Amino acid sequence: MPILHSQPNGQGVNKAGQVIAVPPPVLMQQIGPCLQVAINIEKSIADQLIQAGGRLPAPQQGIALIDTGASVSCIDEDAAKALTLPIVDVVTMISASHSSVPANVYPAHFQLVGTNIHINLPRVMGANLKPQKLIALIGRDILSRCTLFYNGLTGEITLSM
Amino acid sequence: MLEKEREFFKKNLPELLAKSNGRIVLIKGEELIGIYNTPEEALSEGARRFGLQSFLVRTIAEKQEDISIPALSLGILNANSAQPA
Repeated sequence: MPILHSQPNGQGVNKAGQVIAVPPPVLMQQIGPCLQVAINIEKSIADQLIQAGGRLPAPQQGIALIDTGASVSCIDEDAAKALTLPIVDVVTMISASHSSVPANVYPAHFQLVGTNIHINLPRVMGANLKPQKLIALIGRDILSRCTLFYNGLTGEITLSM
Repeated sequence: MLEKEREFFKKNLPELLAKSNGRIVLIKGEELIGIYNTPEEALSEGARRFGLQSFLVRTIAEKQEDISIPALSLGILNANSAQPA
């Protein structure tokens, strides 16, 4: 069973203008449980493209936030475009500012960087995540296959699949 | 995006439900390409025929899945979509 153990590292500036290390528990409270992910084309589509002699685009890497409130995972729209992912459906999401927001659905493949954890996702929702410096939200469709430990006291997360 | 495909799905849903409830449909334009047991099979066939063009892959069901992402829908994260509202 592959296991990912992660503890965020970060720096801040104190009132005296000195750069200081931010303790992992504080950092995790501020940014949430995040992981480095590499996103690529969904496997069955990638296999077809390779068979046809095509080349796959380079994976898109970035930070994914584990979001236990999200029923499905999301990918940043810019990353989906960079990967030339085909749109395979359009779904409607109720939003606070609009009565409903149509959102593209893409097939994608996630790898947790530094592990051999691969997650093939026939359906992930497109969203504008770049302003939050995120490439993806890891939702309950992925978490349904995992065990997740969130240790707020030490600022660590452990994910096994 | 995928307006023709979604309209075709809606129009043909009663017949699809009667014959293939719970299976996965692949539609391009106003053509039913095939019905499959898994999304991966439908995606594979879609990619074989259409490469990286868009095509509709959807479960045949009376009601489509409920999407709940409070971080986006409540505006905690930016909920802007690439699709026009």
